[in-house]
Amino acid sequence: MNCVELQNSLAEVEDGSTVEQRAHLMDCPACFALVKELDLIIEAAGRLQAADEPDPRVWQSIATAMREEGLVRPQRSARPATSSFSERWGAARWLIPAAAMLLLALGLYVKQPSAPKEAVQQTPVVTPVSKTAGLNDQDLIEEVADTSPAMKGQYEDNLRRVNQSIREAQGFVDESPDDEDARRSLMDAYQQKSLLFQMAMERPLP
Amino acid sequence: MLSKRAAILVAIGWVATGSLIAQSKKEYHFVVGARAGVSITNPYGSISVKPSSNNTVVVNAVLHSNKVEVDNSQNGNRVDIQSHLLAGSDAESGRVDYEVLVPADASITLHSSTASLRAEKLHGDVTLEGPGAAVEVRDIADAHVHVKTMSGPVNLDNIQNGHVEVDSLSGEIMLNGVNGPVVQVVSTSGRITYVGDFGKSGEYRLTSHSGDIDATIPEWTSADVSARSVRGEVHDDIPLQPKSHNYFPVDKGRAFAGTMGKMAISSTVVLRTFSGKIHLRKRSEKQ
Repeated sequence: MNCVELQNSLAEVEDGSTVEQRAHLMDCPACFALVKELDLIIEAAGRLQAADEPDPRVWQSIATAMREEGLVRPQRSARPATSSFSERWGAARWLIPAAAMLLLALGLYVKQPSAPKEAVQQTPVVTPVSKTAGLNDQDLIEEVADTSPAMKGQYEDNLRRVNQSIREAQGFVDESPDDEDARRSLMDAYQQKSLLFQMAMERPLP
Repeated sequence: MLSKRAAILVAIGWVATGSLIAQSKKEYHFVVGARAGVSITNPYGSISVKPSSNNTVVVNAVLHSNKVEVDNSQNGNRVDIQSHLLAGSDAESGRVDYEVLVPADASITLHSSTASLRAEKLHGDVTLEGPGAAVEVRDIADAHVHVKTMSGPVNLDNIQNGHVEVDSLSGEIMLNGVNGPVVQVVSTSGRITYVGDFGKSGEYRLTSHSGDIDATIPEWTSADVSARSVRGEVHDDIPLQPKSHNYFPVDKGRAFAGTMGKMAISSTVVLRTFSGKIHLRKRSEKQ
């Protein structure tokens, strides 16, 4: 089983527990990391359904798991509080938009191979996620400005570009809902935005 | 006047000496088995990985100040190296430059925010990530090569039989002599350049939302090619045999699709951009 087959098979068995999946995951750190991320997102998404506002313990448990995995490190120096959002969610707050966009991208990806033409028109699925993601752009820029001012310009520039690409791809889908390239370009655009948030999240702090 | 100049020179010498004293070198050795895993996380500074001649991982680290340490650990066949930033460190004082030797079959994972990431002559899986990191990977065979960057340039050279995935937002991406069962590049605005022959039976997908895509291939290449720019232009210097069916409209100047070469098994090549230009060029025989 290669990476593509593994990712396709996740649509059937999403926890990577079949013999073939396990064999591939043993040898492929990238797919192993992907499955772990998906497990975290699925776990968090399941709990999100229980309340309008997530319990802070949810994010705390994710943050703890991420520290244990070495994805983020505990903050060592006392930094001035920048916003109530930062205080409340800590480093794990980046999971909100990243998880939303990853779920969207995965959803589009899983639908793609078998989507008949009549099903393709159900693209409004992207709308709420787009709003959710938009709420967090400013937080990302504030965080980067606070911890790594030299990178702020690059993040702003890339955020602007990727938001533009999402708008254009969404317009393409609206114009041509049956067009496979349109759906693929929207999926790619969301994955790129997810990548941007992941990079902000993974930056080690002093 | 002379004494003032002398004082300045002394001051400069003192600062230079101080910075040299603050800079230090460390070396670590780890004995590992076959297909070891090596992970290096370095917020500020370069990482270069080359093959070793035995089953040892050798890490040479140059620390630019005493405001950064190197944490290292070995757990079975896995080695983890991490630059540990101390309070008050910044991009300069927190910098560590690594030169690492690993067994050629080791899988490596490298992270750096801004400096260069380089791997060469390996046949284990290679994963390189960093927002502004310049990535260079060359002479890799039979392995996965996964690259994630935001704005840093990506240069892949001579990757044979690779499973290649590149995700980049705005950096330029250059693929030279890259082939394998899967070669996938996704960019938001970066230019993608491919020079090679698209292998024998792989899936090649090069996508940039607003960046240009430029592929230069020999005339004898055997491939099913489709190219489409939704708002931009496409140019094709190589005659293609048209296909009887395409799933997208082949508008002249905006898309082309067809087959080239006569081999029974050929690669599938998909070139897509929303507003960039696509150019499929014929490589001159002199190249």
